[in-house]
Amino acid sequence: MSGVPDSLEQARAILAEFPVVDGHNDLPWALREQVTYDIDARDIAADQSAHLHTDLARLRAGGVGAQFWSVYVRTDLTGDAAVSATLEQIDCVDQLVARYAGDLRAATTAAGMEAARAEGRIASLKGAEGGHSINNSLATLRALYALGVRYMTLTHNDNIAWADSATDEPGVGGLSAFGREVVREMNREGMLVDLSHVAATTMRAALDVSTAPVIFSHSSSRAVCDHPRNIPDDVLERLPANGGVAMATFVPKFVLQAAVDWTAAADENLRSHGFHHLDTSPEAMKLHRAFEEARPRPVATASTVADHLDHMREVAGIDHIGIGGDYDGTAFTPDGLDDVSGYPNLIAELVDRGWSRDDVAKLTWHNAVRVLGDAEAVARDIQGSRGPSNATLAQLDG
Amino acid sequence: MADLQDQLNAPTEAGELDRPASFAAHPAPPSPAPPSTPSTVPSATDSESAAARDLLALHPVADGYCGLPGTLRTLPYYDLELGESSVEADLPRLRAGGTGALLWAVDVSADRPVTSALEQIDLVNHVVARYPEGLRLARSASETADARAHGRIAVLIGPAPGAAVGDSLGTLRALHGLGLRALTLSGTSWAPETGLTPFGEEVVREMNRLGMLVDLTGASEATATRALAVSKAPTMLTRSGARALNGHPDNLSDELLAALGASKGLCLVPCSAARTGPALRDVADHIDHVHRVAGPESVGLSGMYDTGDAHPEGLTSVTDYPALVAELLDRGWSEADLALLTWGNVQRVLRGAEFTARATRYRRGPATTA
Repeated sequence: MSGVPDSLEQARAILAEFPVVDGHNDLPWALREQVTYDIDARDIAADQSAHLHTDLARLRAGGVGAQFWSVYVRTDLTGDAAVSATLEQIDCVDQLVARYAGDLRAATTAAGMEAARAEGRIASLKGAEGGHSINNSLATLRALYALGVRYMTLTHNDNIAWADSATDEPGVGGLSAFGREVVREMNREGMLVDLSHVAATTMRAALDVSTAPVIFSHSSSRAVCDHPRNIPDDVLERLPANGGVAMATFVPKFVLQAAVDWTAAADENLRSHGFHHLDTSPEAMKLHRAFEEARPRPVATASTVADHLDHMREVAGIDHIGIGGDYDGTAFTPDGLDDVSGYPNLIAELVDRGWSRDDVAKLTWHNAVRVLGDAEAVARDIQGSRGPSNATLAQLDG
Repeated sequence: MADLQDQLNAPTEAGELDRPASFAAHPAPPSPAPPSTPSTVPSATDSESAAARDLLALHPVADGYCGLPGTLRTLPYYDLELGESSVEADLPRLRAGGTGALLWAVDVSADRPVTSALEQIDLVNHVVARYPEGLRLARSASETADARAHGRIAVLIGPAPGAAVGDSLGTLRALHGLGLRALTLSGTSWAPETGLTPFGEEVVREMNRLGMLVDLTGASEATATRALAVSKAPTMLTRSGARALNGHPDNLSDELLAALGASKGLCLVPCSAARTGPALRDVADHIDHVHRVAGPESVGLSGMYDTGDAHPEGLTSVTDYPALVAELLDRGWSEADLALLTWGNVQRVLRGAEFTARATRYRRGPATTA
């Protein structure tokens, strides 16, 4: 045994030093749906590959060093119900971190992420997915921050009163006046503005307003695969000036054109049977399987995702890209990236494509940590001159 | 750096700001009566008034219900440090009246109780941060005592109405994480007139596990009795007098007062004309009654200032606590019992809840959200 290690070995070696910061994992929602937060019933210290994309052994095998756990709640929850459900999701993450303290460490700052890496634990951060989680209340936004939430995706799949979603009809045309105030208040708190899921108009409006770096917690390139969940090049081009980071997602139905088309047909099939197209219940999955037998599902691979990363790197630059797998938030995953143990396969593909060790280290670790640290610095700066905002939707949007 | 910190936090400087000398951490020589000395209390002689102030200097009032957060939400501008005519419990008056700790009630709106509770807690945090020389946020008995040792008035967050938890134990835990330390059970689907539902009992057990005080104000006889049985920590009523003296629905029957005393719970008697009566001596009557029926360890004070309630004559503001203490001295109360009434019992109940939480967490994890 000698000579040059193969690319997978190289990938594992780099990840051992610069592990993955993943922008989005829906384990909390999966635990809510599958077992009503009975975390004894889905003990992630044991193998959960029959039920989940995520458990501790596979996170370790995948070289994950920091995870933004999504505290997503469905958009059919509105008002207080959305807030309360979000608090339950936050509580779930806190319980996981407390229970698996040997492997997980709560982190709310860039320094906390580095400390977790130094002691070999997985930094656990929280991200809210959708402005419906704050019920049009800036004080509620601050409460989420106080409870450790460090990014908020401005919308999920549906428009909200103050921001447009990528997968809905144009509403306020990007951000309303209150939406811009939300972004300013997030800057003041030090909560990252997440532009995944939002309409391109919202992305541009948020970049206009935000004085802190933004993120895309799980979005890929629209030039590579034309899906509204992906990022147009003109927005990627603005990331160097903003300092933000776009974390490429693996979801086949966003990253592979054939899968985009197949999914449109499969969703229609689910809806025609009376299910929501994002339903992952056993009944819905059974329908999905039957559809798949009749029409084979196009399969994405690590190479598909690498195509996106190559393009995003070219447009935004090596300092402005990252990874956001969306595990346990999607029914299907690419071959080779089947669950959270798959990241080394992606890195191996990039190494084969000529990415250097330093390039990979920026992609997996440095960029995401830098963005959180920069958001903290901007917040400290703003807090020196501006108090908390209590503006309301009614005041600003009439 | 050290110089800077000394300047910002030096207790001595806070002592200078805490104008009335009688409320320094160490007993000062009897001071001349502040201008607000109630001359309208006929039973309190000057010497009793001085004795009352001395006693409050040592054992300040831990006021179990202050409505300031709800009032401040409606004010576009206010200054609690210089004195604010739009409120009843600003800092100069709190200091003059000998208040050492306050529970700031969380006022929620019926249509969005969870969100508005978060907004109120956010407001409390920012208000307390604005007056670092006057107020200090406290999350425990120790922090309450610590605030007092630094010459600050301790602010505890609560009680919030039960609706604030949105029928969710996860939300309850989040509110606890944000500093909420007392929750009123009544008015929810799980604490109806007929007792506690199974979920309601789970809420009480989870509050015990967290160390959040169970407030039974407004609970029916059946619900209060059941909660007393379920709770492993002392419960309290943040604004109840004696039903035997005044028929207000929130006031407690003698049976319940006795049961509360037996469980070492706490009844905080309100300075409210509707609940206790139109005059200072009515409040003193209620305190006497609760003291007699529930015991000296189960009675405390609740100002209900800034709640919109009318106050008894002679107790129209927080500056009148010395007059109330003077009245009780006149009635023969011992200093030991008065110390329990003003400060000691609230400390004990807070410590009791914390002790129960530590003991419970050892054997019980968070309850699954139902």
